[in-house]
Amino acid sequence: MEDAVNATISEPLDIVKLSLGERVFMKMRGDRTITGTLHAYDAHMNVVLSNVEESIHIVDVNEDGIPQAPRVERRSLEMLFVRGDGVILLSPTQ
Amino acid sequence: MSGGFFGFDTALPGRDNAPSASAPGGTVHGFQARADADSFLGGGGLGGAGEEEDLAVYNWGEGMDTGLLEGGDDFNDETFGDVGDFSQDFQFSSQPAPTPAYRQQPRGPIASTKSHFHPKAQVDLFAATEDDFYSSRPSTKKSTKQNKKKEPEPLWAKASPANQWGASPVAQPRTPTQQPAPAARPPPGQILSLDEIEADLARTNINVPTPPPVQQQQQQPRVLTLEEIESQMVAGTPPPVAHQPPQAQHQQHASQHSIHVPTPPQRNTPPVSAGLNGSGHSQQQQALLDQMFPDLGSVPAPQQQQQVPGGQQAMAPSGPHQPSPEEMAHMEELHRRIAGKIEAMSKHNNLMGNSDKDFITRIQLSQLATADPYSSDFYAQVYSALIRRQQAADGQGPTVVQVAPGLGFGVGAPTGNRFGKMGTASMQRLTTQVKKLVSTTAKRQQSNMSNDALQGALGRVPRARSQVAPRQVLAVPAATKTKHQPINQLNQSTGPTRPALTRKQVMFALEELYDDVLEIEQMRRDAPPPTDVPAVEAWNAACVAKVDEMWNTLMVMEPLGVSNPHPFISLMNPLKGQRLFPRLLRHLPQQQCLTLLTLLIATYPQLDVVSRAPPPPVADSSLLTKADRLDRARREAETDSFLHHVIPGVDAIINQCNLGLVSGLLGICSQRMEVWKVGATRPGVALFTALLSKAQSLVRAPQDPNHPEAQQDPAELEQWHKMFDYFLQIILPHLPELFPSTQAQKVAFGPGAYLIGADAAGANQFNEKEGLEIERREAEVWGLAAALAVNAPEDQQTNLVAALRENILHSVTAARDSHTPRARAEMKLRNVNMFLHGLGLDASMVPT
Repeated sequence: MEDAVNATISEPLDIVKLSLGERVFMKMRGDRTITGTLHAYDAHMNVVLSNVEESIHIVDVNEDGIPQAPRVERRSLEMLFVRGDGVILLSPTQ
Repeated sequence: MSGGFFGFDTALPGRDNAPSASAPGGTVHGFQARADADSFLGGGGLGGAGEEEDLAVYNWGEGMDTGLLEGGDDFNDETFGDVGDFSQDFQFSSQPAPTPAYRQQPRGPIASTKSHFHPKAQVDLFAATEDDFYSSRPSTKKSTKQNKKKEPEPLWAKASPANQWGASPVAQPRTPTQQPAPAARPPPGQILSLDEIEADLARTNINVPTPPPVQQQQQQPRVLTLEEIESQMVAGTPPPVAHQPPQAQHQQHASQHSIHVPTPPQRNTPPVSAGLNGSGHSQQQQALLDQMFPDLGSVPAPQQQQQVPGGQQAMAPSGPHQPSPEEMAHMEELHRRIAGKIEAMSKHNNLMGNSDKDFITRIQLSQLATADPYSSDFYAQVYSALIRRQQAADGQGPTVVQVAPGLGFGVGAPTGNRFGKMGTASMQRLTTQVKKLVSTTAKRQQSNMSNDALQGALGRVPRARSQVAPRQVLAVPAATKTKHQPINQLNQSTGPTRPALTRKQVMFALEELYDDVLEIEQMRRDAPPPTDVPAVEAWNAACVAKVDEMWNTLMVMEPLGVSNPHPFISLMNPLKGQRLFPRLLRHLPQQQCLTLLTLLIATYPQLDVVSRAPPPPVADSSLLTKADRLDRARREAETDSFLHHVIPGVDAIINQCNLGLVSGLLGICSQRMEVWKVGATRPGVALFTALLSKAQSLVRAPQDPNHPEAQQDPAELEQWHKMFDYFLQIILPHLPELFPSTQAQKVAFGPGAYLIGADAAGANQFNEKEGLEIERREAEVWGLAAALAVNAPEDQQTNLVAALRENILHSVTAARDSHTPRARAEMKLRNVNMFLHGLGLDASMVPT
């Protein structure tokens, strides 16, 4: 049965298709992660998400050049278009 | 720019140097022909060979290599021998070379786009080219001589400095700062080409003296760029208002080209001057696009005209705020930079000929053509349909233009026909062009079938034919798409039971279902006319087949106990599946709907929204962990979605049932589920209420004298009463527990229990909105209680009241409590009355 599903998944983006309308987790360049409901995507991994929460992982460095503990800044967005060139990975959240 | 830009191989064997390699004597003629083609001055400007078919033939590889030697004018002497003569001839546009007889037509005194840019753009906007190009490619060798004559507008001709700067015959070094002397302008009376006009404009723009005094600078007539205007807006400075009349020469042309109106310099003038051309998006091309899609065209033009009559001050800030010197200096600097930039860009002006641009425009357009214009343009189509409905359907143009069998454009636009007045004509031309293009390409693809075998092959595949078969401009989609049918394998039950579908399988099946539904919806949309009987039959059969396929994918016919949850329930668990439900129902025949409903009810407890119903609310949500909160929110959202998408469909099916079916369904409920557990969830309450109220309306129906045929079968009636009694018997002891407030009370512990228990006092704990929400949910259960009440025989009604006594008293006292917010109190009363009215009672009868 698993084979049956795998048979039609002929290209990587077919897996992304299965996540349409579901919440997905995206890792982005620039130490960002995004979770949101996937609405659309294309071959460039441009993505449209809704109910997005973006987390920016920041490591501050003090004057002595010693890195502080990493902190996370979050913001929520209702609707977001993500340009594909910043996407590192996309996975369903569970 | 090389020929490779178009995806063509420019290096045609033996043709690289065709123009320059020919005899010197003939070369001059060759140039002459090009000059003619360049300026397109006459109808027959394409020369004798071109006249036969009146089609521009593109030979892209040819001429480019030589043409790119822009700076190579130094060798003109050697190539052409006589420099003097040549320099006369070289003014392509401004001073046409000795004219052949056919070009002796009188010309208007004013240059216009029409006269300069080839009239073909008007007559034959979509002059066949790509396909001709393709079909002529293999035979180019034969037609070399022809080509030399017909070749339109070689790139180098346009790009050569002499042409660019109008009449100045010898190429002037075009450093951005150097201004052509005014003497270089064409003599008055001579027709100016658009290039010259643009160059003129650019010149004036650059020539603006930039005196330091602030006031004076404002008086200067200048062409403002959008950036300047914007920056002025930002800076809060009133834009400079020019009072000087524009130069007469400009005025003359301004009347011709609204886009190039430099007079009077308006604040909102879009970037006039060379900037427009620097983008490579010339007016000609804009005109072509405008003609095809007027709605998408250059919007600024009308705005501009609006503002001409005295509108200059309309938008200006009220106070005559004087800009500070710094601001002015900043503006000055900005202006200079912009001017420099424009000048720098203008050296690329006219690198592409009009036919080049047309060609590209057409390629772009042909890419828009799809096999299924309605679906490809789906959202725009639906949106435009909605808008048009709002606008009471004033313009009913076609929303899909079929350009070829199996190819078309979606042209759904909010405002009627996107193709405007002249649209039909251009659309027809476009249609023929694309049709030709498509058929040629399809033919070529047919012959190239062998290449398809390589599709998907990894690595670099040596293609011997790559020289003669460059990348296709237009890929006509292959008609046959192999359709996997894995769902059937999914469907095969391998034993009496099997594991539930995995999430991946569910998602996969759902995507399949969505595809099916979309396809069916599309099929229903393009139904054949009812007069065409065979077509209608075929269409019906196709629809039925598709619905069957969808039905299989739904997996409703799987045995009940095949897995837990049942495959169909698995499909209904995700939000996606719930959203799909009403759309599925629309296509299923009644019998299948009933089957589906029966299955749904039989497996109701397996539904996520029932088995994992959101827990009752707690008094203080800050007690919850974040994960817990998220989980609750998600479950609430799922329940809401289920109630919103699935329940209405269920209601609709139940409404079509007769009493026998309803009692059968109720029997399933009471036998297959723990009614009190399901009833404690909102979906459960909704289902029971729907069944009971439908039964009630059926039982009452015999009293309707208008429908004597709707008489209930006494046996069915009997069965119903039995079923109902059984159901009531099961649910009655648990009835108070179905209420959300009771549930909340039960789960609550610690101080929260007091808060919720004392309803009136607790009302303050929940904020107003939450309180109303709780009442709304209570109302659902009261609705169920009411449905029970109206169905119950009299002796049972007493039991009902007795069972709910606590709840009734609670609600009524809380409603009468002065601490309860008014809105909530009213809702409480209404809820209780909903139940009591079913028994012929009223809340006011309850003693305090």
